[in-house]
Amino acid sequence: MTPFHDYFGISWYVFLLIWSAIAIGAHVYQVGFIVKLIRLGKDDDRFNSWNQRMKEFLTDWLGQRKVVEDKVAGYAHALIFWGFLMLVSDVIDLGTGGLFAEFLGIIYLENIWNLIVDIGYLMAGIGLLVALYRRLVIRPEKLKDSSIEGVMILFAILGIVITAFIVEAGYMLGEESHYNYWEPVGVLFAKLMEDIDASTLQTIVDVSYWLHMILIGGFLIEIPQTKHSHLIGTIPNVMFQDHEKMGTMIPLQVDEDDLAVKTDDLDFENLTLGVNKFEDFTWRQLSDGWACTACARCQDVCPAYNSGKELNPMQIIMDVKNYGKEHGNLLLAGEAPDETIVDRFSPEAIWACTTCYACVNACPVHIEHVPKLTDTRRHLVMEASDFPEELQNLFNNLERNSNPWGLGAHTRADWAEGLDLKIGEPAEYLFYVGCAGSFDERNKNVSRATAKLLKEAGVDFSIMGEMEMCNGDPARRAGNEFMFQMMAEMNVDNMNSLGTLKVITACPHCFHTIGKEYEKYGGKYEVYHHSQILNELKQKEKLKIKDYGDKVTFHDPCYLGRIGGETEAPREAIGGDLIEMERSREKSFCCGGGGARIWMEEDADKRVNEIRAKEAVNTGADCVAVGCPFCMTMMSDGLKTLGEEQRTVKDISEIMLENLEE
Amino acid sequence: MNIAVLIKMVPDTESKLEVNDGALNDQNFKYMVNPYDEFAVEQAVQFKEAEGGKVTLLSLFSENNSIDTDLRKMLAIGADEIVVLRQEGYRGDKPLANAKVLSDAIKELDVDLVLCGIQGIDYYQAATGTMVAQMLGMPNISGVTSLEYNSGTLKAKRQIEGGLQTVETSTPAVITCQKDMTKVRFPALKDIMMSKRKPFENKSVDSIDSNDALTSESSLPPARDGGEMIEGEDAEEKINKLIEKLKMEAKVI
Repeated sequence: MTPFHDYFGISWYVFLLIWSAIAIGAHVYQVGFIVKLIRLGKDDDRFNSWNQRMKEFLTDWLGQRKVVEDKVAGYAHALIFWGFLMLVSDVIDLGTGGLFAEFLGIIYLENIWNLIVDIGYLMAGIGLLVALYRRLVIRPEKLKDSSIEGVMILFAILGIVITAFIVEAGYMLGEESHYNYWEPVGVLFAKLMEDIDASTLQTIVDVSYWLHMILIGGFLIEIPQTKHSHLIGTIPNVMFQDHEKMGTMIPLQVDEDDLAVKTDDLDFENLTLGVNKFEDFTWRQLSDGWACTACARCQDVCPAYNSGKELNPMQIIMDVKNYGKEHGNLLLAGEAPDETIVDRFSPEAIWACTTCYACVNACPVHIEHVPKLTDTRRHLVMEASDFPEELQNLFNNLERNSNPWGLGAHTRADWAEGLDLKIGEPAEYLFYVGCAGSFDERNKNVSRATAKLLKEAGVDFSIMGEMEMCNGDPARRAGNEFMFQMMAEMNVDNMNSLGTLKVITACPHCFHTIGKEYEKYGGKYEVYHHSQILNELKQKEKLKIKDYGDKVTFHDPCYLGRIGGETEAPREAIGGDLIEMERSREKSFCCGGGGARIWMEEDADKRVNEIRAKEAVNTGADCVAVGCPFCMTMMSDGLKTLGEEQRTVKDISEIMLENLEE
Repeated sequence: MNIAVLIKMVPDTESKLEVNDGALNDQNFKYMVNPYDEFAVEQAVQFKEAEGGKVTLLSLFSENNSIDTDLRKMLAIGADEIVVLRQEGYRGDKPLANAKVLSDAIKELDVDLVLCGIQGIDYYQAATGTMVAQMLGMPNISGVTSLEYNSGTLKAKRQIEGGLQTVETSTPAVITCQKDMTKVRFPALKDIMMSKRKPFENKSVDSIDSNDALTSESSLPPARDGGEMIEGEDAEEKINKLIEKLKMEAKVI
């Protein structure tokens, strides 16, 4: 028996047409509104490398590559997702009163189609039960504040699944039952229902059918309004994911070759400095808002959020969407709401980011959280001139002496005294020391250790001496893009004048900025982290390093591991009895010093470095190995606050030098 | 309200200090705006923003060194123009001679107020501003920690040992500014860009004779001895040893 008959003397089809018109109309209208909002954003040309994009789309969207990294929620989601892809055509069949299946019968596809749809419903059903179990029984900490909406929607979708099975079963039952084993779950339902009398059965089938259609229509109306907008929003998000190297920021202005326009040639009349208005974002930054599923994976890994600061990366993404929704009519009318984007994000949140990219890395749908924060910083610094006071010192120091501490630029190479290094001479490698390695007492020792090892192995290298400047990372991450650009241009000039091709640095921030960001400012170099070169020398036995049994743990610097993509060379270089922290490699937890945070005040009860230092202590290692001068400072301070000073913090190069065979 | 701000270019605090035969070697100095004068510029710009008028920066300096970049930042903060008086053989430690040249230049401007830092961080003489006031025949309030202007009257607060003094005078007047008089703004990028189009004039002035006191010899402070680490079994023993040393050796307690 089927539900396709007259109701109250009117054909079922009339009711269905009316309801479809309402549901589809409401859906299309709302999606149209969102599309118009997203199109307010600035251009960001990502309509290229289609082959790569298709591959990524198939693995990330269809294959749910990052979704399933969370085993429970991820696989539950994947089951629901794949299930719905398999069953979605059933709505056409149910909407045409079975004509679709009949058509498939003509081309001999009906049976296989029935099977696929049936399995699809089953997979979705299992996924939904797991998801409900997770929300109602397991109740993970991060879901405690989430609304009842999630549970309601899960029940509604489960309703869609169950009613589908009932209607399927109804098809099989009648005066003469004939079980269609191409619909195995349907058969199961039919067997359960076969003893029910015909008129009750008819009612059950009718109610199920209309419930099914009402739920689907309701879902269509609901999708654009809630986090279920991700059903649509993730498609452009995943398809147009960032193809720039992770962590690289966009220049103020670019020319037709995608290179930065020189500071002298910047067109200030047509330049938006950072973001404070909805339409200052690019369309792709705006689409993030509707791709977010509120899975809170970004929140789980955020050092700012986990140390109790104002920032929650997920909230930033919600803010973009909610701001657009709340002020949508004004924005589309070209007017400016009183509330700005900075107001919505809050300056405290904006300044709390360490730009560690853990959020971006954790997001299954390629949301880009960090640029939203660094872009608003640009606005606060260059346009509004409203930023933490400590940064004014930083900027003045960088401007006058090209280092964050403001120490005399002429003392930059003092650490190298007595080492007899080439200074400012052409050589195979340029050892770019960086500010911390040049001016910070503790880190000068790292520079010395690195230089000694390189000399020992007979590497031909030179340092720049007083000619070296800060690479500009602190200014850039703190929003002073203009200052960064001036520094980058000068540095590139200096480095090119030395004929630099290969660079070694002990600082992951220099490694990242010079290696990945200078390209747009005319500086193309092969840049190596010292651990990469030193490890190679060790493997080739140009450096003979003794085996040693000390218990050591390695703290991956964000800009070397997760962002830089190098996690193995430091480990091989260190050797020893290496014990991993719970979070390591690309999942490493920031020390709290990145994003110019090390130059800003941090409340004593909200320190990121203490969280990480605790994780290091938990390994029981006697030595925390680091590969970044800021990690050095933050981890040392963290251990000190915990009263764990007996554990040492050492750079990779220092450990190697200690174990160098005479 | 038209305001003149006197700016002294002083060696960057991180410049390399070298003394050869009792004379300071200034060959490798980098120069920066005297930090006390930055407060004066900020205060002047705030008055201009409230009252209208123009802020002119006057700086007396030697002929050769390039100081444009750092001075232009003062234009970015909001001053309107800069006149650099270039003088052969200029020295920062001749307040009387310098005050004479500066006050002559001020006379050519029609100003209601002269602001400058209380002292230069090169020689710490705290003399030039007050001497300028004397030469212009204007009242002078020195070492001001906060300043208000209300239709022709200046109300200045001065932090003095153990108290706060409020002083009033009518304009025109010369005010020398104490540290932290106001918070110096960080210019927005568009202000930095606009400052490049503001007038920046270099003007030669003659050297003049004066009976300024002269620096007869410069020397660097003696190098500090290394500190002493107090050894001991535990904190208590170390503290006892420290107290002992403070009493017996340092004789401070």
